[in-house]
Amino acid sequence: MHTAQHMLRTGRRGSLHEFAMAYADLRASVPKLGLAWSLASHDVISRYRGSILGPFWITLSMAFMVLGIGFLYSELQHISLQETMPFVALGIVFWGMISLVIIEGCETFVHASGMLSQTSLPMFTFVWRTLLRNLVTLLHHLIIIVAVLIWFGYWRTMNLPLAIAGLVLTLLNVSWISLAVAISSARFRDIPQIVTSVMQFSMFMTPVFWKPDFHSPMMTLVLIYNPFFHMLDSIRGPLLGAQPALQTYVVLIAMAVIGWAVTFSLFALTRRRIVHYL
Amino acid sequence: MKAPPVSITVKDLTLRFPVYGVDAKSLKKHLARVAIGGRLSNSHHGSAEVTAISGLSMTLKAGDRLGLIGHNGSGKTTLLRALSGAYEPDEGQIEVKGRIAPLLDLSLGIDPSATGLENIRLRGRIAGLTTREIDAKMDEIGRFTGLGPFLAMPLKTYSAGMAARLAFAVATAVDADVLLMDEWIAVGDADFQKIAHQRLLSLVERAGILVLASHDMDLIRLYCNKVMRMEGGVASPVTSIKDLDQLLAQA
Repeated sequence: MHTAQHMLRTGRRGSLHEFAMAYADLRASVPKLGLAWSLASHDVISRYRGSILGPFWITLSMAFMVLGIGFLYSELQHISLQETMPFVALGIVFWGMISLVIIEGCETFVHASGMLSQTSLPMFTFVWRTLLRNLVTLLHHLIIIVAVLIWFGYWRTMNLPLAIAGLVLTLLNVSWISLAVAISSARFRDIPQIVTSVMQFSMFMTPVFWKPDFHSPMMTLVLIYNPFFHMLDSIRGPLLGAQPALQTYVVLIAMAVIGWAVTFSLFALTRRRIVHYL
Repeated sequence: MKAPPVSITVKDLTLRFPVYGVDAKSLKKHLARVAIGGRLSNSHHGSAEVTAISGLSMTLKAGDRLGLIGHNGSGKTTLLRALSGAYEPDEGQIEVKGRIAPLLDLSLGIDPSATGLENIRLRGRIAGLTTREIDAKMDEIGRFTGLGPFLAMPLKTYSAGMAARLAFAVATAVDADVLLMDEWIAVGDADFQKIAHQRLLSLVERAGILVLASHDMDLIRLYCNKVMRMEGGVASPVTSIKDLDQLLAQA
């Protein structure tokens, strides 16, 4: 079912044509953003159907986690709450968004198999669906962020435009990772498990709870080569009134460009097959 | 308003299906195979290619009602899915002018935990209707289902027949130029079947082209004016419905 008035599907005509078709899919997904939004908001609504708090349940449990870990780390590391609490709060909320876009990316095409196998909807529609769904959830968690920033007074020193720029750069990166795992999970059913493990491991390797420390060379290596550190730092840094290193932006931009180029090529080459994988 | 020309043109369509066995879906086994070298494993790749359609050509224009006949696995559904735009041809070309409505699976996009009204909206959105268009059709769809106050209740509380009514009502609420159907959809009790039949007929009349895959020859005779027989992915030429007996005799 489609409103398109004209549909043309052709056999393989060389790689260049495959890229053109992949680009056509991407372009056709733009007018379908409304549909992606409807699907995403329906996902959120149906996931929490019948519960009173709805998606705020996750917000609530996050808030408790923030309180617990905030107090604990401030005691353990002898750092003031003023410093720990906002750091942990922003860390947990944005890490949640980053990791869920990637983990739920595994299901992007698998869950859409019904629609993919009998409509001409652009495949990118479902990538946006995953992304938008997690942005809706993030909007709910903004309560925590606003509360913390106001309570601890960071709203006076924060650099909001820079934080939003960081969020955009982060989204540009998680979206290609999400697409990459979506394609590979459709093909190989082991991928979701691997992705979940990798994300869990990354949570501990990324300064979500703990403060990054550049004094030890080993630690510096772990941080510099961790893309998630740069993502998190580009959003959290400016909100806490710190300027992220220039290196962070270089890494994020380079990673977005290279990541999208590689993933888009993968998409172009596997696009015809994805529906058969499912 | 002049209606745009409606047509389906298929040229030398060949569709191959990679069939991925359970083995082929496991990454570990895939990697193990790479590790032991490809020579031994070439024959046991776990994925085989099945040619679902080979060298199919046909042209349909407005007013054509094509009946697809053939045994199970002869490629009828695959052809319908290719016409819907879901399956990409491996060779050849498919060109469809006009809005396509595939009624291949009534349960598409139906969420059992959502209410009837929500399901109408969701399904309508998937069908390409805007929110405004759905609002405009809502009353008509709701009335047609005959579910009244039940529309505000979750679909999972419906009986199978009620759910089928709802799915049918939404799926047929579209304005389409090209209608693709895998078996004539017959749902509900005797009363509902009668009005469902009326609705489907008017949908077919409004649509420029109907492609109906069915095993029911009486149905094909009733609705179609052209017929095509598929066997093992190879299609006969599109012929007039008058030659149906002849076509069946060849089987």
